[in-house]
Amino acid sequence: MTEILQILVTGSVFGIIYALIAFGYNLTFSTSKTINFSLGNIIMLGGVVGFSCYVDIRSGALIGTPYIVPIIAVLVAGVIAGAAVHSFAVEPSLKLKSEYTWVLATLAFGIIIRNGAEQLWSTGDYRFPSPLGDDPLRFAGVGIYPQEILTVVVATLIVFSIEAFKKYTIYGKAIQAVSEDKETAMLMGIPQRQVVRISFMMSGCIATMAGLLIAPLTFVSASMGTGIGIKAYAVSIIGGLESGKGLVVGGLILGISEFLTARYISSGYKELPGFILLILVILVKPSGLFGRKVIKKV
Amino acid sequence: MKLGILLSSLVVLSLLGCTKKSDEIKIGVYGPFSGGSAPMGLSMRNGVQLATDEINASGGILGKKVVMVDRDDEAKNERGGQIMQEFLDKENVVAVLGPINTGVADASTQYPNQKKVPQIINVSAGAKVNELFAGGKENYVFRIAANDDIQSKVIVNEALKRGYKRPALLCDDTNYGQNGREKMENALAAANVKPVYVGKFKIKDTDMSAQLQEAKAAKADVILAYGIGPELAAVSNSMVRIGWKPEMIGSWTLAMSNYITNAGKNGDGTKMPQTFIEAAATTEKQKKFIEDYKKKFNESPITSAVSAAQGYDSMYLLKLAITQAGSTDGKKIKDALENLNGTYEGITGTYNKPFSATDHEAIKEANVMLGMVKDGNVIQADKK
Repeated sequence: MTEILQILVTGSVFGIIYALIAFGYNLTFSTSKTINFSLGNIIMLGGVVGFSCYVDIRSGALIGTPYIVPIIAVLVAGVIAGAAVHSFAVEPSLKLKSEYTWVLATLAFGIIIRNGAEQLWSTGDYRFPSPLGDDPLRFAGVGIYPQEILTVVVATLIVFSIEAFKKYTIYGKAIQAVSEDKETAMLMGIPQRQVVRISFMMSGCIATMAGLLIAPLTFVSASMGTGIGIKAYAVSIIGGLESGKGLVVGGLILGISEFLTARYISSGYKELPGFILLILVILVKPSGLFGRKVIKKV
Repeated sequence: MKLGILLSSLVVLSLLGCTKKSDEIKIGVYGPFSGGSAPMGLSMRNGVQLATDEINASGGILGKKVVMVDRDDEAKNERGGQIMQEFLDKENVVAVLGPINTGVADASTQYPNQKKVPQIINVSAGAKVNELFAGGKENYVFRIAANDDIQSKVIVNEALKRGYKRPALLCDDTNYGQNGREKMENALAAANVKPVYVGKFKIKDTDMSAQLQEAKAAKADVILAYGIGPELAAVSNSMVRIGWKPEMIGSWTLAMSNYITNAGKNGDGTKMPQTFIEAAATTEKQKKFIEDYKKKFNESPITSAVSAAQGYDSMYLLKLAITQAGSTDGKKIKDALENLNGTYEGITGTYNKPFSATDHEAIKEANVMLGMVKDGNVIQADKK
């Protein structure tokens, strides 16, 4: 019983993380109709920047800065990374006649970030001590790290506050208007280019915050974002690219299925069920489990 | 006019460079200098560097200066093959030292055999060295590292000695981990013990609670692990998470700094076979080595002391062989290695005819001791 609970808890925590990052994909997809494939490496940027501001790389001990310093640093990094991927990768490729250049451009941007981190920082794996301590709390025999609780709380807060921002503020409404219909929004006087750029900055911040949150749960390395980025993308396809609720369900399905498979089938097949589900969803309901049907007018 | 002088001086310089080349002995060194295996690769390179500098300071080999040509294989198997071809075809090295990762070694050892250039594997434990004789051909590959046969025996013997009857094996899914799993299973089978659980994990996995729960459900009483630092640290951390802490005995890589720092206090008590333990250095030579290493690389304790010591010893064994051969011809060096006169007192042990024509493994079970992680350091677990 405790065992099942432990699997559910661990799986859900990872699921929520996937969902949070998928939310970052969702945000820029709705405004620009592109998918930012460099998001995985922006997550890594959050981990690496946060680590550099908080931990001494040689000894692994804290350098004594309060936790707010890494938080601010990763938010700044997120804004810069989001703006950069928009200006250097997405916007120029959208101007081209070829429809899918942004796929390669965002992928390339991600590889550049990763190689940059390997060069400037390091290629090793490092432990990021959690600000809340690294000893697991025990509830009915189930071990939960304080950092996991923090991660789930912060992830939920981020998702809800962005949804509220979109619903109740004039800027949020501008984002929604652009995601509904770019041309009309432009005719109504909404600065469409700026709105798209802001959505990229917000998604960058979500990714770097996710990186900072998960760093104590995984290790920090220049390649820490690659796997998570791909899985979060799978989650956004399973859940439906434009559905907030779908992302959470998709994330939970992927996270829990991973740990159930590792425990009861074989740890070698850990990632299999999530990706089988991905293919099934694409075959059966391409808009995702909770996605709207999109009719593309040509 | 100025350009003319510049050009002619360049020509003169390059000619000088050419004549200088024949006064050099080039040694190829490759290993992972980046990524999760980097602590081993960098320490090994530093060890070789230390030996090379000492040799050059005392007049080189056969009156020639030793030059180290080092390449980062990034722990990628295919890079190993490319680097070896570069060493042999472009750099014309007289011998090769390295690598670290078993997969890289397996992918690259065929080249020195073809080109008749000796290679001393100084860290990789899984590479098939003596097995290369099977084809009946000459074998140019030697090793100075405790191979998986020896390591798995030491691990299994320690577990059995401590009275464990239900071991669970946990290995990564690389060539290294799976080779180790096979050898540990064989060693257990020889003692009529069957593992109650055999699990694996991937490089970069950070949560092993599923595997550990399965081992726990199978009523395992000890974890025998085979992998590299970061993932082994994840194993130790996940044990604490699920609140089950059996003893862990595993591959020598448990002494890597990225195991010790990443596992923190969760790593205390973990045991592994070692050929050199910095904290247990006794001989003058070992102490001097640690001192020189600290002076040169400003590093104490050494990130991966075993790799550094084996790297250092491999360079000196090579020097002995080249001196004895009196030539840098590959075949002659190989013959000299197989028939080394005199005794070499190294960091990892004293070597008296370490290699023979049919056995290219320098390190035997007697050279291996048991290390244990304690308070962020590796200490000797079994004082002999």
